[in-house]
Amino acid sequence: MLKRFSLFLAVIALLVGGVAPAVAQSGNSLTVLAPTSVQPVVEAWAAAFGEAHTDVSLNVEFVESSEEILSRAANASVILTDDPAAAPELDFECGFISDVYVPLPGVGAWVIASNSCGGSVDPIDAAALDFAAFIVSADGQQVAIDQGALPESVEIVDQAGMTVTIPQPVRRIASPYSMATFYVYGVGAGDRLVVAGYLGVNSDATKDVMRAIDPNFDALSTAVSTLSQKEANIEELAALEPDLLLASARTDWLDAADELGLAIIRFDGESPEKLKEAMSLLGAVLGPNAAYRADEFNAYYDETLANILAQTEGIENPVRVYFSGTDALRAASADMYQTMMIEAAGGVSVSSDLAGYWNDVNLEQIAVWNPDVIFFPPYGGASADAFAAPEWASIKAVQDGKVYGVPKLVAPWDTPVPDSILGIIWMAETLYPDQVDLDCPVEATNFYSRFYGYTVTESDLQSMCP
Amino acid sequence: MSVERRQAVLYILLLVLPLPLAVYTIGLGRYEIAPGDVVRALADWVTVGHNASDLPDLAYDIVIRVRLPRIAAAMLIGGNLAVTGAAFQGIFRNPLVDSNILGVTSGAGFGAALMLLLKGSTLEVQMSAFFFGMLAVLAAYAASRLYHTAPLLMLTLVGIVIGSFFSSLTSLLKYVADPLDALPAITYWLMGGLTSVTQRDLPMLGLISITGMISLWLVRWRLNVLSMGDSEALALGLNPTRLKVIIILFSTLMTAAAVSVGGVIGWVGLVVPHAARTLVGPSHLRLIPATIAMGMVFLLLIDTLSRTMLPGEVPLGVFTGIVGAPLLLIILRVNKTGWK
Repeated sequence: MLKRFSLFLAVIALLVGGVAPAVAQSGNSLTVLAPTSVQPVVEAWAAAFGEAHTDVSLNVEFVESSEEILSRAANASVILTDDPAAAPELDFECGFISDVYVPLPGVGAWVIASNSCGGSVDPIDAAALDFAAFIVSADGQQVAIDQGALPESVEIVDQAGMTVTIPQPVRRIASPYSMATFYVYGVGAGDRLVVAGYLGVNSDATKDVMRAIDPNFDALSTAVSTLSQKEANIEELAALEPDLLLASARTDWLDAADELGLAIIRFDGESPEKLKEAMSLLGAVLGPNAAYRADEFNAYYDETLANILAQTEGIENPVRVYFSGTDALRAASADMYQTMMIEAAGGVSVSSDLAGYWNDVNLEQIAVWNPDVIFFPPYGGASADAFAAPEWASIKAVQDGKVYGVPKLVAPWDTPVPDSILGIIWMAETLYPDQVDLDCPVEATNFYSRFYGYTVTESDLQSMCP
Repeated sequence: MSVERRQAVLYILLLVLPLPLAVYTIGLGRYEIAPGDVVRALADWVTVGHNASDLPDLAYDIVIRVRLPRIAAAMLIGGNLAVTGAAFQGIFRNPLVDSNILGVTSGAGFGAALMLLLKGSTLEVQMSAFFFGMLAVLAAYAASRLYHTAPLLMLTLVGIVIGSFFSSLTSLLKYVADPLDALPAITYWLMGGLTSVTQRDLPMLGLISITGMISLWLVRWRLNVLSMGDSEALALGLNPTRLKVIIILFSTLMTAAAVSVGGVIGWVGLVVPHAARTLVGPSHLRLIPATIAMGMVFLLLIDTLSRTMLPGEVPLGVFTGIVGAPLLLIILRVNKTGWK
């Protein structure tokens, strides 16, 4: 209620002031508004930023209440509030408010890019964005740590149940575990990667998308000559001096990496809950901005999943799905993420009696199951051709022409990556085209712009949401 | 009934056993089909070649397109591996070898892995496995000629070396393979199994296996002579080297064909010849047919277990090992008629 009221006041103040579009100030002076509660940290940030950007004169003003900050927002380029969710509602002709940056727990920084009408970015707007990026960077985090506003180390329990103490800030991340690479992008810390695995990114099209998401993609994917679950060139890895290693709980060479004294987080994301937990873990160790983004993602995931479940709940005679693996005769077991995705999308996995990982089955067993729909994954050479063989002709899904490949943009949608929520949407739409009202193209466009900062193209959409 | 009579009856029974067993196992499977429907499906297939009755398509497809090819493949591969094992044990005069001693399986494994990495079709993968299986044995044979004394020992040694060489090459391919892409396919192939056998696999396997079995049967006398040693063979007017080359060539062709369809299936070539020897004695006159029949029965039984026991396929190697290892120990214990 109070929040609404303050926003209302802010809007009134703006209208009275007649400042729309908001024009910040003249010259190369960057105005930052911040609450007095965080004055020492903001001053330290300003000093550190000023040293690196001598061409920008920084003008920091402190105010007592968040209401006051909002009321003066139009005169600033960057505003910090202790209420990150309360966006200043400014009415621009052609300017915009950038995404929120969260440099400290509970403190949001809004960048007001006020003068981009002419097309060319105002130098002050650019400096404002730089400043915001700086305060959430590892350097900005260091400044806050020096000021005692952030802890010097964080202790977490990872998904293998190990307690890990991670010195702050984390500047150099090595991510041999491909799923974790996408978690890092998801929490907005892609610029801290020094080497990363990108499983499944092997076609030219997916590589181009990855380059658009991260211009460093080529360098990151080749920074260490051998880096997989099974093997790694430990010395090359050590030479990169990472201060955090993101691995799967099933990575084979972690004992050797332990000898280097690296902080290691072990992930095991084979369920929606584990995926969200993995995002939160990264949020906890990569600073308040990452924590905020992890929360945002988890909330988005829950909300989207709840929306899907609300629509698929109570569907009678759920569609029976066979999820095949890299071979047509390999079935996903009950313990796998794919099975949980099918259930979330309102279907039933015919192979949910099986345990373990992928299980080899024979065609007779599939005939016993006689699935309504077959899904196959976007990797391992799996293709619809395998189901065109005459032996498959009398399986119901094949007879009805209901054999579908799971899409992907970069990471396969059936693996425990953030994108998998789109996989559930796609599954629900594919299984129940007439019963559910979801919008794969819109969701995919929003998702990639929000969590990976990538603008989806028309051809991306055609392959993702056919 | 005299001992000879009893043995003759046993021998005849042994030879015909695969057929009723095959007919019986056609009725078994995860998908329940009434015996009458199985018979009708088979009758349709034999008479008109397609489903002619009001039987549901699925039952016909399962009997004809799934069970029949798989049973045929299990029998061909079982007989194939067993008889080549017997032949190799004879010419190498060593009870501990099977047809894999010259590296054919490792070569075939490498060939398959290579083609899987290059994204070849099923047929290309099989051809590549076949080709490299042959190549490995030829390489072993050529290399063994470098050294002139004790050629058999040398051939065995070189065979082991070539086998390890190709295994290492396969490891190298697995190392460079994309873990989400070619690697699962390679691992899957190397494990072996008859899960994905179709009618399309049968013509080549059948042709090579049956030709090979007949050829080995035709040289049964000479195998007896060879197993006595080279000097005896020479004294009896045989050219032991040329004969061995021919037998190795046929056996390798047969093993490569079996491996290219079913992957690596251990134990059959080692255990079955010993089992057959305890029943019919060491003479290849009866040993060759008995080994073929028993190989067929052994693999057919094991594959039937593997495909019917659980919803997920139990890998063949699990049963061949679990059943084969104790069986070999028992045979070695009771064996009185075999190796002297």
